[in-house]
Formats: sequence, structure tokens, C-alpha cells
Amino acid sequence: MNGDRPRLISLRNPWFTASVGAISILFVFTVFVGFVWLPSAQNDALFKGLLNAICSAAGVPKAWLSEASPPIQPKTPVSSVVLTPDMLGGASSGGSIGRGATLALRCTMCHGARGVSAANTPNLAGQYAPSIYKELRDFQSGARTSAIMAPMVVGLSDQDLSDLSAYYASLPRSNAPPAQQVHSEPNIVATGSPMRNIAPCGSCHGDLATKLGAPWLGPQPREYLKSQLEAFANGSRHNDISAQMRNIARNMTADEINASASYYAGSR
Amino acid sequence: MAQSFSANSHDTAALTARIEKRWAFLMVSIIALLVAIMIFTGLHWAMMPPSRVETIDPSTLHVSGEFVESNLGSAVEPNGSVTVRIVGQQYSFTPQCIVVPSKTPITFRVTSADVIHGMLITGTNINSMVEPGYISTFKTEFERAGDHLMPCHEYCGVGHEAMWANVKVVDKDVFSKMAANTRRLTCDL
Repeated sequence: MNGDRPRLISLRNPWFTASVGAISILFVFTVFVGFVWLPSAQNDALFKGLLNAICSAAGVPKAWLSEASPPIQPKTPVSSVVLTPDMLGGASSGGSIGRGATLALRCTMCHGARGVSAANTPNLAGQYAPSIYKELRDFQSGARTSAIMAPMVVGLSDQDLSDLSAYYASLPRSNAPPAQQVHSEPNIVATGSPMRNIAPCGSCHGDLATKLGAPWLGPQPREYLKSQLEAFANGSRHNDISAQMRNIARNMTADEINASASYYAGSR
Repeated sequence: MAQSFSANSHDTAALTARIEKRWAFLMVSIIALLVAIMIFTGLHWAMMPPSRVETIDPSTLHVSGEFVESNLGSAVEPNGSVTVRIVGQQYSFTPQCIVVPSKTPITFRVTSADVIHGMLITGTNINSMVEPGYISTFKTEFERAGDHLMPCHEYCGVGHEAMWANVKVVDKDVFSKMAANTRRLTCDL
């Protein structure tokens, strides 16, 4: 019986030839529509021509504006630190802490024997290594200016900076109680001011979330925090990558600067 | 008996063939309609300016290339059009205030330095994701002067709600006066 029935997949089966033929025609036509017709309808030189149309629809990467004017170079040095999660060899670059401790002898007169001091300098103990490394590199390149720090970093190699960062990151944070246990968060820290473009401090600096390169803030000396916020706001400090901190500080009121500095200093 | 069965079977086969043909016709019509809708909307209802895939290393935006800080903002090109370059990052756009002329071809070039952001200019069809590693480019023209908001509309982290920028469209001659003083324009404070 079976032998008598025509085979399903066969050119002699008119249903087979018609349906497969129709699908093939449809396929070719829709490829033409999607890769040639619709892209070519765009009023842009980069979509003109068969190859351009096909490549643009297929998502082949290509520079768009080759004819644009060359980029304007910065007048003052800007940060050239490339922040990536594995920038300092990841968490495993073990042996450098001891070397960093030796190098750190030159830092102790301001930053304290164990990275904590009362001299209104930033507390470095327990600070994130990428944040320390970035600032040291920026002091070296002149992206961040400081009459005190600039001479201290002259002649330090990239390895020296990594070792210093690893050393300070390894120190225990000062045992002052965490700021949030002492005072309730001021609004600027807890919620920021979304209507004025101010994200909460904690969305980058801990508490809520952290961002690579953003330092851990509490407790830091109040005077230091206040002066840096003001320097960001008036643009005299400009080593934050693509103005990410200046954009925030510029919109903060004097009261908000005071409140956030006091909060992160752990005293009001 | 055998004869009537055979006649019956023949009728059934013919009927089946007729039904199959109708179904095939219906299906082909539906597919043709869908393809036609696709072509029509693609040609006439395209909401979004087209974009070509263009890649960039997001970690070195600030070091070199067209997205260095000093090159951000509006640039007047030799052909009279204006190119606006914007970086999105947690949690702001740089520049925060974008100034463009009205009645002038504008090319936006936007990329992200960290995570996926979005940009949308209210009152226009500019609406795009801003992805790290890719440059979003689109061309537009503003009819009249006015202020627009440009919120990030792709959740980018806990500070997302504070991420937005202003787009100020000013008259052409006002803009050219502003452009006389500087090569990259913003209306940042």
C-alpha cells in the first residue's frame, strides 16, 4: 500500500514544490526588503550602495563620521587613568603590600603611621586601591594639583603606585563608628536631589552602591571633604573622569555641602 | 460497495485539495499583508532615525578620541551642521546642558562610559539606548527654539532618577554668536 502513495518530499509532489518554492521566494524577497530596500531608503550617504545597505542592516561596525573635525585637546591635563575591574592585577596581586608599606614611610608625616591621621588629610586606611591609585596617578600627571602631593609622587613608578595603593587598602579602617550609626543620613546623602540632577552620595560612595574609582568616604576629615566638594563645584579640581563629580557638586547648595561633609566626617 | 468507496474517496480527495488550496491562499495573503505592513511602516512610519553600529572602548573615552572632555558639547562643522557629543555615566550626562541651534541639521553622538543608559529628548523622536562600547548616532533638526528635558530612561543604578540633562534650542543667530567665542558649546553653569 505504502509504495503506491506518492512520496511527500519529492519534486513530483506539486504541494511540496509549491510550498517550498513559495517560502523560498518569500525568503529572498524579505531579505531584499530588510537588507537592501529599507536601508537604502535612508537619506544618509552611509546607507547608499548595495554593500553599505547590507552591512548597515547586518550591523557591521563602521565609523560614521569620518569627515568630522578633529577632537579638541584639553588645555589642562585631565585624568588619563583607565579604570577597569582588573586594573591593579585584580585582588590577587599579593606580594606588593610589604613593598608598599616601605614606600609609605614618606606618606606617614601627613597620613599617619597606619593611614589615619588628625591632620585633616584623607584617611587612607582601608581605602579602595583603585581610588588611591587613580589619585596618585592624577597627582603625577598634574590632572589633580596639590602643592603638597605633587613633589611626593615625583619619580614613583607605576608599580610603586600600585604597591602603595595595595598597602593602604590592606590597612584596617579607623575604628570610629560608621557614620550612619551616629547620625541619620541628611537628605542629600540618602536621596540626593533628583530634581536638581544630584544623585545620592551613597549611589557611588558606598551605602547604596559603589563605583570603581569612587572613594570610600566615611569617616574622612570634614574640612577635606568640604574643600574638595567646593573645588569640584568651582572647577578648580577637575580630575574626575568626564566631570562626573563636578556635575554633582556644581548643583549642590552650600548647606548641602556642609551637611554631606559633616555626615561623612561622622560629626555634625 | 467497492465502487462507491472509490467514488467517495475521490470526492474526499478533491474536497481536501480544495480546502488546502484555500488555506494556502489565506496563509500567503496573511504573510503578504505582514510583509507589506513591515515595508510601509519602515518607509513611512519610521519613528527612529536609523543608526549604524559603531564601536568604541568605553574605558578610554576620557583618554583619547572624540569623547575626551574638552571635545564634548556642540561643534559647528564646516558644512554648517552641528555635531553634539555627549557622554552618559552614572549618574549624569556630560555636558549637563546642551545647546543647539534651531533649523539646523544636528548630529547627536552619544556613548556610555559604564553601564547601559538611555536618552530621550522630550518632544522629539530622539530616543535611544546609550550603551557602553557603542556610539549612538542620530540626525535631527529642531523646528523652533525652546527647552527640552533629556532624561536617562534606562535604569542604570540607584542614582538613575537624578540623571538627566537639559537641551536648549536657541535661534540660529543667537547660536552663531555663542559659537564665535568657543569651538565646543555647552550651556553648563
